[in-house]
Amino acid sequence: MTRWRYFLRRMVLSVPILIFGTTATFWIIRMGPIDPAAAIIGPDGDQQAYQRVRDQLGLDEPLWEQYIDFMIGMFTGDFGQSWVLNPDTPAIVMLTQYAPRTIWLGFWSVLIALFIGIPLGFYAGLNSNSWSDYLASFGGIVWRAMPNFWLAVILVSLLSQSQQLFGFSWQNWIVRTNVVTSPPLDNLTDPESFLIALKTTIPAALVLGSSSMGNEMRIGRTAILETKNANYVEAAKARGIPGRSLVWKHIFRNAMVPLVPIITGEAFLLIGGSVLVETVFAINGLGFLFFQATINGDLPLVGTLMFIFILLIVGLNIVQDLMYTLIDPRVGYDGDA
Amino acid sequence: MSQEYGTVGEDLTLRERIERRPQPAVAWLGGLLVMVLLEFGALMGTVMTTVPWQSIGQTLPLTAPWAALAGIGDALADLPTLLSREVIPNQGYQLPGEGWQGTFLGLEPGVAWAFRVLLIYGYSFVLLAWTFYGYELFRRHYRAADWTPYDDMLSRLDGHRWGQFGFVIVFAFVVMAVFAPALGPTTVDRNIANPYENEIQYYDENAGEVMTTLVGNANLQSVSKGAGGRNVGPGEYDDFGRFHPFGTLPSGKDLFTFMVAGARVSLFIGLLYITLAAGLAIVLALLTAYYKGLADLAVVIAGDSVQALPQLLVLILLSFVLSDTWIADIYDGGLLLALIFAATGWPYLWRAVRGPALQVSTEEWIDAAKSFGQKPRVTMQKHMFPYVVGYLLIYASLSLGGAIIGVAGLSFLGLGVNPPTPEWGRAVSAGQPYVATASWHISLIPGIMVVLIVTAFNALGDGIRDAIDPQSQEGSTEATAGGTGA
Repeated sequence: MTRWRYFLRRMVLSVPILIFGTTATFWIIRMGPIDPAAAIIGPDGDQQAYQRVRDQLGLDEPLWEQYIDFMIGMFTGDFGQSWVLNPDTPAIVMLTQYAPRTIWLGFWSVLIALFIGIPLGFYAGLNSNSWSDYLASFGGIVWRAMPNFWLAVILVSLLSQSQQLFGFSWQNWIVRTNVVTSPPLDNLTDPESFLIALKTTIPAALVLGSSSMGNEMRIGRTAILETKNANYVEAAKARGIPGRSLVWKHIFRNAMVPLVPIITGEAFLLIGGSVLVETVFAINGLGFLFFQATINGDLPLVGTLMFIFILLIVGLNIVQDLMYTLIDPRVGYDGDA
Repeated sequence: MSQEYGTVGEDLTLRERIERRPQPAVAWLGGLLVMVLLEFGALMGTVMTTVPWQSIGQTLPLTAPWAALAGIGDALADLPTLLSREVIPNQGYQLPGEGWQGTFLGLEPGVAWAFRVLLIYGYSFVLLAWTFYGYELFRRHYRAADWTPYDDMLSRLDGHRWGQFGFVIVFAFVVMAVFAPALGPTTVDRNIANPYENEIQYYDENAGEVMTTLVGNANLQSVSKGAGGRNVGPGEYDDFGRFHPFGTLPSGKDLFTFMVAGARVSLFIGLLYITLAAGLAIVLALLTAYYKGLADLAVVIAGDSVQALPQLLVLILLSFVLSDTWIADIYDGGLLLALIFAATGWPYLWRAVRGPALQVSTEEWIDAAKSFGQKPRVTMQKHMFPYVVGYLLIYASLSLGGAIIGVAGLSFLGLGVNPPTPEWGRAVSAGQPYVATASWHISLIPGIMVVLIVTAFNALGDGIRDAIDPQSQEGSTEATAGGTGA
């Protein structure tokens, strides 16, 4: 099978997945006891207003008609308008308002995890069975086992009280910021506002990336241990290739292969974890929006968010498999789907 | 090994082998009997309360003998047991000059409590060792085969300190969940669920006499709210002579009692989830590996579809949407959570065993069984299942840790397990404003417990992996182990 046919097959296979996910979302929300009309008019609304809202939203139409409308809307990019949180605002507009903060947070959490986790893992692997290896490995295991929400709670408290606890004020360090706040992203080209945005995001990004960091460390370490003793490394050593070039050209490049699924797999953890981390750090991003939309029964918003998340995950899976075939041509096209 | 005791007949049944040489088996059973008798009342109590006898009794035509049996069962359940708060009470009051009244041997409540905890853990570990000893006896005296692959797996675990660490912590956690009512310095009912329906006695220094008050009122005087000395920390007594091993919650309730009861809830949800998900995963893996083709493709698409839904978001959505329905009332929402976890988590386990199942399906013995005319179900059960089940155990151990974190994360958000049923995440949430104050224990202790137990489940998974498949590469399991991102 050529690469393009493989790619096409993956695309075709992803269609039922998208349909299933969107259908599941619709049925979960509409079959449940949530009544969006009651949520919109509030507890004091009279019967007439209630009925008017129900008619307006089309809640009394047959469920399968609503379902078909919903599905067609989702797949044609017509995501509808928010019902409860911000009435009459298109869901896609709300999405674009909230998304930048989550993307900013996700970007830094991936970056921090990559730039701490992988070097630490490679270091531990190159110095295997030394005390620094044990320390790094054990730290990685414990770090990975920490629940995000708990880590976030602890970090917020420590940073907010850093003056009293450590005699070092995190809030006043370099630029003045609050700990629990959304990063302002209006003017990122200005160095100071960039710094402020970065500083308010770093703790949350560290928490969100914690489990990925642990994973990357452990797998990086194993990958180094395996390539270090591989025959081609022995051969390169025998040919007299100097240590530095041996490590960079022959060990690191091949050790990267098993890290690919970990890095793309971070997306799953980020999407789920963002709800809790954004709640604790009071960042009004997509996770926060999803939680609010859920507890308010805002069907179009929840549906849109789920649809986008599913699209993202399915897309990332395809990209990951393509990356595999690019990095390591031995990976078959028709093996494990 | 059996040579030194003479040859064991390979063609005898286990019963016949025991009849030939009954002495070790009888001695072992005698030891077991003593240990069971010590806790017989508690065992019967569990049987009487957890099984819905009432509804079973109604469906049976003959009521009279059953009613008598139920009476006997209830009576047996009331038998005193060694490891209970009635035998070793830790609640009392201190009269000046006369010491503690009402506690075990007049000891300080903290000491009495610690004694009970030590006894419970001592009992549990002795029981565990006795079980291992029983297996050793079986291996030495009664097993027909001299050697089985399991012997090698066990011997590989022998020097696996990391896996042993995981096993010990996991076992301690299970003991905590099983003995939850006896471990706490007080009970959930008295202290957490219905504090205004129970009373305690304490010695009032101002009045100079023993007074009685409602537990709820006492709790209000024992809150942990950080500043201003309103704090009952770990290992401290409150003004009513009550000992709090982990301190109190901001509501004045006992954190340790909360934690042990929460352990029970977490373990129940985790085990039910794993049982359901692993059962589904292994059935699907065996079926798809055996039949391949279209069946495989269908399950691949189904699994991919479920995995494409962000698990934690579906958990949040479903546990919120279904929070007012009847199913959310069963076991305080625990059953619902376990079902949602199983419905969203099975593809991770299925993926983990799909590879080994496909691998074993190409072996010659499967072909042989097929051409022999063996039924597909028997082939899967006898020739494929034993090879795959070990891999399932690895991922089950890893996913259990993930489920505990997930449940805690949901209850942190106020979803999932209904209050006032204790759940660890709710303690973290309650202690959130007090982390950097004197009441640090409220958030910190539950978090550290979660970290310890999740680490232990990971270590146990590593141990099982190294035992069943020493060639497998370390780290290969991490990528697929289900984490929700909580």
